[in-house]
Amino acid sequence: MTAPPPAGAGARRGFLTAALLAPAGLTVAGLVLVPLLLVVRDSFATPDLYGGTKGGFTLANYRSLFDPVYLKVFGYSLGMAALNAAVCLLLGYVVAYYLVSRAPQRQMLLLLLIIVPFWTDFLVRTFAWINLLSPGGPVNSLTDAVGLTHGPAQWIPSQGASFVGLVYAFLPTAVFPVYASLRGVDPALGEAARDLGCGWWRVHTKVLLPIARPGLLAAALLTFIPTLGVFVIPVLLGGGKNQLVGNLIVTLYTEFRNQPMGAAASVVLLVLMLVSLAVFGTAARRLRRKTA
Amino acid sequence: MKSALDTVTAWLARGVIAFLYVPIVVVVVLSFNDSDITYKWAGFTTRWYGELARDTELLDALRVSAEVALLSATLATGCGLLAAMGMARLRPRWRAVFSGGLFLPLVIPEIVLGVALLSVFGSLHAGLGLTTLVLGHLVVTLPYAALIILGAHGALDPALEEAATDLGCNTWQAFRRVTLPLLRQALLAAWLLCFTISFGNIVMSTFTNGVGTTTLPLRVYSLLKVGLTPEINALGTLLVLFTFLIILGVGLRQMRRVLLGGDRTPQ
Repeated sequence: MTAPPPAGAGARRGFLTAALLAPAGLTVAGLVLVPLLLVVRDSFATPDLYGGTKGGFTLANYRSLFDPVYLKVFGYSLGMAALNAAVCLLLGYVVAYYLVSRAPQRQMLLLLLIIVPFWTDFLVRTFAWINLLSPGGPVNSLTDAVGLTHGPAQWIPSQGASFVGLVYAFLPTAVFPVYASLRGVDPALGEAARDLGCGWWRVHTKVLLPIARPGLLAAALLTFIPTLGVFVIPVLLGGGKNQLVGNLIVTLYTEFRNQPMGAAASVVLLVLMLVSLAVFGTAARRLRRKTA
Repeated sequence: MKSALDTVTAWLARGVIAFLYVPIVVVVVLSFNDSDITYKWAGFTTRWYGELARDTELLDALRVSAEVALLSATLATGCGLLAAMGMARLRPRWRAVFSGGLFLPLVIPEIVLGVALLSVFGSLHAGLGLTTLVLGHLVVTLPYAALIILGAHGALDPALEEAATDLGCNTWQAFRRVTLPLLRQALLAAWLLCFTISFGNIVMSTFTNGVGTTTLPLRVYSLLKVGLTPEINALGTLLVLFTFLIILGVGLRQMRRVLLGGDRTPQ
């Protein structure tokens, strides 16, 4: 830590610090915090005819969201997000465990192998599945050859295709935090547990999973919340039939031009995010207390 | 002693890693497919790349994306650098508050950030265009720039700058001759990552683009709503190549810092 500055330089020092922090600070305040407050305000406003707001205070936008059509979107999104997070967590743990049990040199190479798809353009990763799943496409030819299907299969657009696209999009995101929490572990720990008579299952559930838990929590958070806001995948792979909250918000803003209702849906998404943050935060705290 | 289940999960892991590559490889292979039906192989051709080079609408979108990415990456890296230096001068308590704000956009769904910006621009009656796109992308990229630069700046020995000051450098000279050269790699990494994030961004762009400033992902997305063409596969292949180059440029060390947090090497 640096020593406290001499008293006379205090004002100049303070000025310089403020000047250095100003660009980032103004960006966050002006382009994130204030805008979020405006969304909350808009969510209580009445819409005008031109896609803007007329101001005022009404709960009508939230009441409209209670329509079964919209409730279904929220329910479906939560289910999809939970399922996606669960699958990503499971596969992410398997991959992370595989990574940490390799020699350091190989670990780096494997990590790079996960990083490349992670940084590959999101749209490319999504439309890749249109190639793969089209009737008569690569996967279909394979299943035909093995005898699972007979002739062209109509897999896309479908909810299944949409789900595969989601898992594919978020899986690398889930691997990194789990790997980060596991890689500090001494491999001797697992061996010791095994020598002491723990079976494979107990080595994982009693020794490794508890260590990986902070990483698993982070991974869950990093897959669950963003899934709710996705809108490209359900349109391109799911045919736009089963929508996520993200689709709902885009539709309300760009097609229905109903800004207040779009704002209300965004606020609901924010609340869902805060609730999941609180849940995960409490879980993490309880975890720390237990291990402390 | 290795259990059979270890072997099973190891194969599952290898399968998952392969699963990550199959779609990418298929895009690359099919971009050379001599057929209008993207997914049925009918011989080798490079003609789709030629079509791509003649598609003026896509090229326009490419130019917009490149401009936006260039500007927002530069702004984000600059803001990140200044913030890192400013934060080093704060008391720990305020530093925590500031970094909380700085990383806030990482936990908020991007779509909400986009909607929020649209509200601001709407109430300011600001026309949507290049400026609003760049500002939107600045919001999305700044946390990543800050993550890399804060990490690198925190790892610097403060004694170096003090030594420079003791040897007669003023604050500016100490920064210019000591701090900046030491941070050069991190700054480059931050800039490249921000460029990539901005270039591929679609959610924020949906809400901040205006007439005549359709970005490449937005253009591709609207094409895809009609249907996938071999030309889009060709474009996808170029984007995959671009990703490789960026990762090489950023380097594995910085990647680890962003993705895993901290700078420990695996034991």
